[in-house]
Amino acid sequence: MAIKSYLAHPYNGQKEKLQKELSIIPHCEVIPAANKDVLILVTDTNTRQEEDILKEKLETITSLKLLAMVSGFNTKNK
Amino acid sequence: MYNSVTNRRSFIKKMAILSAMTAAAAMFPGIVFAEEQERNLPKGSGNLEWKKAPCRFCGVGCGVLVGVENGKAIAVKGDPKSAVNKGLCCVKGYHSVMSMYGKDRLTKPLVKKNGRYVETSMKEALDLIASKMKETIKDYGKDAVSIYGSGQWTIPDGYVASKLFKGCIGTNNVEANARLCMASAVTGFLTSFGADEPMGCYEDIDHADVFVLWGNNMAEMHPVLFSRLLDNRLKRGVKIIDFATRTTRTSMAADKSILFLPQTDLAVANAICYEIIKNGWVNKSFVKKHCNFSKGLTNMGYGLEDKYKFKDKPEKISFEEYKTFLEDYSPEKVEKISGVSAKDIKYMAAYYGDPNKKVMSLWCMGMNQHSRGTWINNLVYNIHLLTGKISTPGNSPFSLTGQPSACGTVREVGTLTHKLPHGVVMNPKHREFAAKIWEVPVENIDPKPTYHTVEMFRALDRGDIRFMWIQVTNPMVTMPKLKRYRDGAKKEGRFIVVSDIYPTPTTDIADVILPSAMWVEREGMYGNSERRTQHFEQMVQPPGEAMSDTWQLVEVAKRMGFEKQFYYKEDTHIEEIYNEYRKHHVGKKHNMAPLAVLKEQSGAMWPYVDGKSTKWRFNAKYDPACSNGEEFHFYGKPDGKAVIWQRPYEPAAEEPDAAYPYWLNTGRVVEHWHTGSMTRRIPVLHKAMPHAYVELNPDDAKRLQIRTGDKVKLTTRRGEIVLPASVNERGVPAPMQVFVPFFDENMLINDITLDSFCPISKEPDYKKCAVQIEKV
Amino acid sequence: MKKRLGIISLFVILFIAFVVVWNYSYETGKEEAYIPIENNNPTPVIPSETGVFKRSKYALDYANMPVDKNHERSLKTYYKNRAYHGAPPSIPHKVEDRNMGDNSCLKCHENGGFTAKFNAYTPVTPHPEMINCRQCHVPQNTQTLFKGTNFPKLKAPKVGINNALISSPPIIPHQIQMRENCLSCHAGPSAPKEIRVTHPERVNCRQCHVINNKETKDIGIFIKEIKNE
Repeated sequence: MAIKSYLAHPYNGQKEKLQKELSIIPHCEVIPAANKDVLILVTDTNTRQEEDILKEKLETITSLKLLAMVSGFNTKNK
Repeated sequence: MYNSVTNRRSFIKKMAILSAMTAAAAMFPGIVFAEEQERNLPKGSGNLEWKKAPCRFCGVGCGVLVGVENGKAIAVKGDPKSAVNKGLCCVKGYHSVMSMYGKDRLTKPLVKKNGRYVETSMKEALDLIASKMKETIKDYGKDAVSIYGSGQWTIPDGYVASKLFKGCIGTNNVEANARLCMASAVTGFLTSFGADEPMGCYEDIDHADVFVLWGNNMAEMHPVLFSRLLDNRLKRGVKIIDFATRTTRTSMAADKSILFLPQTDLAVANAICYEIIKNGWVNKSFVKKHCNFSKGLTNMGYGLEDKYKFKDKPEKISFEEYKTFLEDYSPEKVEKISGVSAKDIKYMAAYYGDPNKKVMSLWCMGMNQHSRGTWINNLVYNIHLLTGKISTPGNSPFSLTGQPSACGTVREVGTLTHKLPHGVVMNPKHREFAAKIWEVPVENIDPKPTYHTVEMFRALDRGDIRFMWIQVTNPMVTMPKLKRYRDGAKKEGRFIVVSDIYPTPTTDIADVILPSAMWVEREGMYGNSERRTQHFEQMVQPPGEAMSDTWQLVEVAKRMGFEKQFYYKEDTHIEEIYNEYRKHHVGKKHNMAPLAVLKEQSGAMWPYVDGKSTKWRFNAKYDPACSNGEEFHFYGKPDGKAVIWQRPYEPAAEEPDAAYPYWLNTGRVVEHWHTGSMTRRIPVLHKAMPHAYVELNPDDAKRLQIRTGDKVKLTTRRGEIVLPASVNERGVPAPMQVFVPFFDENMLINDITLDSFCPISKEPDYKKCAVQIEKV
Repeated sequence: MKKRLGIISLFVILFIAFVVVWNYSYETGKEEAYIPIENNNPTPVIPSETGVFKRSKYALDYANMPVDKNHERSLKTYYKNRAYHGAPPSIPHKVEDRNMGDNSCLKCHENGGFTAKFNAYTPVTPHPEMINCRQCHVPQNTQTLFKGTNFPKLKAPKVGINNALISSPPIIPHQIQMRENCLSCHAGPSAPKEIRVTHPERVNCRQCHVINNKETKDIGIFIKEIKNE
């Protein structure tokens, strides 16, 4: 139902760890920048519930310094 | 990208990614998302392997990935990981590997015997070269042998050439074609800052708000960087100002195009400084802390006569004196000289003066191939120094180069008559330093520079030089006033060796032709315009007996008795040479990255200190060599200050008159690179641009009743040439000016150009001489 | 007395000032009305070079545009209403007479968009500055012929075979006179699907794609013989 994109900033030197941790979470897609310490995170969830679970999971990641949402789309699932 | 989108959901997802990327690009200028691009690249068939290299052609130094299959290079794509080009190439780069497979590739050494070229073995040819060199030194002295190389030499090529000639033989007869293309940039940097090469880097493009292109048709000559400008315009709305003598593809893309009369850029640059001071836009604290004012000699002449000598005498002046000097350059006065309206001068000055606008000036041959090349380089630095818009992200006077290693090999290794890898031959400390690393007696290195390029070919004509080895360059197409130098090279008693990959007009004058291994047929490094050194491995076997220029030189050096200095092993010589070369640049100001780093990533920018490239030199925030405790430190000069130069406007060596009423300008086109010896062998490029032409202004063409394709005769005081006309096609020169590209060896425009040069840099002015035109 | 003199001299000054001002304005009023023609854009336009950049301001929009699979054009239909490849297309719909292009055709064909009436996206013209459209583009008002024709239809260049290497950008296989504006046909929803560019945001198209049919016959390759004297 909801597709959101974020810029994920890792703690110093933990970019690869963060990339690994994020990519194993379901509904998550990670695109790392090649030369800067930032990753793009795209989440694609089907229900409200899924979204909430995902949010909790994201909050437990220790290498994540800051998660800034860039865009969000929400449509009725056909 | 978008045709892969199959449904609404994946489209939305793509939008989400795109907006995140745009946001990231705004926060982190210069950011690269390589994986996303790699996903969309062609995979090729089974055995295709992609290996990284810098592009073979221009000085931008794009990272390319060469696709190798069954021992042949069959494909090229842009390297998405390269911060230079972020995965984009130009048409030359995408087809570059095809330049290795031309039908007439040289594969065997050829020795001229009784007017005919006879195939021989590499061993015999190298024996002959070594014995000829020894013989010449015995008969005519060490200054009768010379080597003429190029900005396409890899770093090891140039390094062993310098070591052999300067260190072992003991002659400063080492020059490179880069003298014809960026010597003025070098002297500009040295006079203004005391240290060569740009302070900024390409990332400046992602920060700047305004771009001023000084006589630089970037859309054709540095297309990949120009695309970065266009990309920034789409995303951030930057302004592009094309300041030129000719209307080109760049003018068509620019937000504003301003035309000036040839040579008057000197006056316009001064007028901009006049406006900056008049309107109080001077960054007073910056100028007070970091700048000096100087003036030099004027009326220097143009170097048209043999053995011309000039030495500038710098003299310090005060700000007030400088201000008084500028009184002659008010926009209203300059309007009359330059043909640029006072309004347009003020328009440019306002951008430079606006403290809230970051300005990047870009230039290449327009300013360097200029009979006052050093001056115009100085004058543009003046603008940036007065406003303090320098050495910070986006505020950048940026001198572009035309060859893949003009910076890496010629400027950094120092393959010019007065240079050493570190410092100059005139300085006893520098000689001692080099002699120690080279393991030669210090007396070997001659403290006196000999000939710069033009003078070197004059010396060959006169007979002062008897032996010349020419590698990776094509002077019999590129020398100005070519006829004199071609006739000179053909004289009796001259022995000329040419190392190249195809027959060229230069191999026509050779006594020995050596087949070279090019680019990825051997290992090497190039250094691009932004101080980035890039490594490439050997990916394919060279054809026949073709051998790298480095190894040709090493073999000859050994035959001449310098085994001790040329101890390198065939398998590892590139690594050994590079490691030895790095010793010359040790220290925070110029440290080069270790080879392992270069092999792993898409190059590194020197000074490479503590495992980090330096993006902005002279700025304490980025450059570890700054040591004065201030925000900026121009450590190239002993007092740590940059110099603002008082340089007047002086006319060109030969201006149009009644007999020769038109200006003649020469240059390049996007399809061909330099003399076309490689690009013309790429069918796609040859078919797109099969021959040279003369561009005319439509009004002139109408008056002379010339249409595209008509034959036109160009006559200068040096000779004449017939070319097909081009009206309203690729470019449009201003009225009473014509333009001819120089790539075509069958229509040698340089037969009629003038060999005047900048007295300080000794770089010829290919952009200005007087010509008569008529329809034939 | 002094006061009176003061007042009189004040009026005298005012009177003189009035005469001067009136005279000045009368004189300037007599000058001929002349507006100097200032050439705001002294830069000549190079037809073969400008087009590339013409629609570039929309390049990002093109890149972000979704593809409407259901209303795509194909090269087949693209070439169908041309007498030969390179010929001006005919008008496949009804048009009113007595209209100049700028206030009729260009309304839709300058920027394109979906037209419910035709259930299709409007093709975009590469040369909107030429407004006498129907000088070259004519409607097809009948499907029958006056007499048959033996006109051999020139084969259009094929798609997908124009790159020299697997990874290299395809060359431009057609002439570009009056079609210098690449994006008008190669980007957007009306572009035939086979020739729609994947990267309209690159803008400077001819940095990578060069024309290869400048001459009608193949000019061959470039080689040089070793010169023996």
